[in-house]
Amino acid sequence: MKKIDKKVADSYFREKTRNMVIYFIVWFLVSYGVVLFAEPLSEFTINGFPLHYFMGAQGAVITFIILLFVNAKLGDAIDRKYGIDEEKNKQISSGKVLDH
Amino acid sequence: MDTQFLVSLSIILATFALYIGIAIYNKAKATSDFYVAGRGVPPIFNGMAIGADWMSAASFIGMAGTIMLLGYDGLAYIMGWTGGYLLLTFLLAPQLRKYGRYTVPDFIGDRFDSHTARVIAAICTIIISFTYSIGQLSGSGVVIGRLFEIDAKVGTMIGVVLIAFYAAFGGMKGITWTQVAQYIILIIAYLIPVIFMSLQLTGNPMPWISYGELVGKMGELDRELGISEYFAPFTNGTKWQFLALMFTLMAGTAGLPHVIVRFYTVSTMKAARWSGAWALLFIGLLYLSAPAYSAFSRFILMTKVAGSKITELPAWTKTWVDTGKLQVADGNGDGVLQWSELIISNDIVVMATPEIANLGMFVIGLVAAGAMAAALSTAGGLMIAISSSFAHDIYYRVLKPNATEKKRLSVARWSIVLATLFAGLIALNPPGAITQIVAWAFALATGTFFPALVLGVWWKRSNSQGVIAGLLVGLGVTLAYIFAAKYGGFTILGIIDTGAGVFGAAAAFAANIIVSLMTPAPSQKIQDEVMDLRYPEQMVYKNGDVWMNDDGSKSV
Repeated sequence: MKKIDKKVADSYFREKTRNMVIYFIVWFLVSYGVVLFAEPLSEFTINGFPLHYFMGAQGAVITFIILLFVNAKLGDAIDRKYGIDEEKNKQISSGKVLDH
Repeated sequence: MDTQFLVSLSIILATFALYIGIAIYNKAKATSDFYVAGRGVPPIFNGMAIGADWMSAASFIGMAGTIMLLGYDGLAYIMGWTGGYLLLTFLLAPQLRKYGRYTVPDFIGDRFDSHTARVIAAICTIIISFTYSIGQLSGSGVVIGRLFEIDAKVGTMIGVVLIAFYAAFGGMKGITWTQVAQYIILIIAYLIPVIFMSLQLTGNPMPWISYGELVGKMGELDRELGISEYFAPFTNGTKWQFLALMFTLMAGTAGLPHVIVRFYTVSTMKAARWSGAWALLFIGLLYLSAPAYSAFSRFILMTKVAGSKITELPAWTKTWVDTGKLQVADGNGDGVLQWSELIISNDIVVMATPEIANLGMFVIGLVAAGAMAAALSTAGGLMIAISSSFAHDIYYRVLKPNATEKKRLSVARWSIVLATLFAGLIALNPPGAITQIVAWAFALATGTFFPALVLGVWWKRSNSQGVIAGLLVGLGVTLAYIFAAKYGGFTILGIIDTGAGVFGAAAAFAANIIVSLMTPAPSQKIQDEVMDLRYPEQMVYKNGDVWMNDDGSKSV
């Protein structure tokens, strides 16, 4: 155990939170945003679908999946940047795993 | 006993044998490497297991039918049930993983250091999971009813017995790999009919790309019939209902006890992150296909079934009329079945479509097996959530702290049997379509656990009085709104029972925050524990300082 600068830990938290806020903005726009403007968006067509229908049936879901993978990948990159070792994490949390 | 019955039954039995075989094989293996550190299911397979746990009869049997009948308005289910994974994976799953408790009531009881909060959370878990399981039982009734060509009610009773046995004696532990198998069966069973229908109707084996033009074509057919277009927005409810339902389903996803528990099985916060991503990819495969399913079914019904002579209806209509879920009555007596004379229940669209599209016995049997996998895997998880809330959180932690392990196990089993029987009784006369019943469970989770968990993880000032007030107010408001909207015709902005969660969550957040601020702050130790959730496992927060744990010892 060694003490680290509180500022370093804080900036870890800030970076992750900032990314999360960006993901949630995109999340909001593709789902709630599209629904709010469904009538005007229905004028456009994509691949035979009216646009609002396409976003509800496919566009939003695909965006969600991409956001989750981006989060997983960037989360790993932030962990690496701050010298977090996944093996150590596993050791620390082993025993807390529920056998299911 | 026709051939179809034998084919369907043998496919179902073969898949059951596979699940049981995997469970037995893993149980034997688990005892030997139980103490090996860092064991844990790789995120990609955990993602499949979450998918099987998650996709219930509502997703498999009910959703495509709901979208077919509601048109664009049904897409709230698609976005709601997928978008919730972002709330879960960003806001709750990794943090709850780091906190490391075994059930949701356990987390609430320890985080807020209150037995009262623990018991209320356990009761909420039971109510939510119970409501959810009514939908599963009513779904298994549809499948079994069709299989034996009997009334769906009798089918439900058979389903009750099956699920009670399955949950009480089978899937207690070590079921992750069984669920992986269930996911694979379920997704194959769902995709094969859509792909075949796509080939039949458009000549393109990629339903996700091909059904767009059909959606447009159906709009034209609808205009000719003088009804609103299939894709026209907000024809079955207001825009606010759409938004409220979508929010309810999203926040409910992040608050469902039996889903959150799955994230306790991963090894670390990083694994929780990846499990969430893989889970949504696997779930998305089904959710992207459901609207295609709806479009193809509706197109076939509109162009091939409606308009035919009432005496020359295809054979499949007979078996479905017998289940009581399909009505074909020649209302105007002209001898022809019009589109408006065909009344089809949401719940049979997926099950009936392989027959409607004439896809052959094997596919029909496979769909039945997939539907059973969906209903059983989720019902198993729900029953375990109910029994652990009762046997662990209420009976053992509060009522009888010195009960023996044997006694607790028997309490757990009896609570499963009783809960299943009771849920089955209600499912005999289901109070709504499967997706609707399940939406109530989500509304309750949105009104209770979502605010409690989000504030518990992200706001250290939230205390026991606050969480108790929040849970009770949220539960009360959500229940009151569901009943007032469903039976009293009371609505705000056109938001009906399925969107009730938005009011429950708003009231619960307000109650939790106001009461917390009016009462003393939680102890320093608890506040430190909440701060600690901001960082990965290796960083430890203590007394305003952050420590890096390099030696990996557990004594932190």
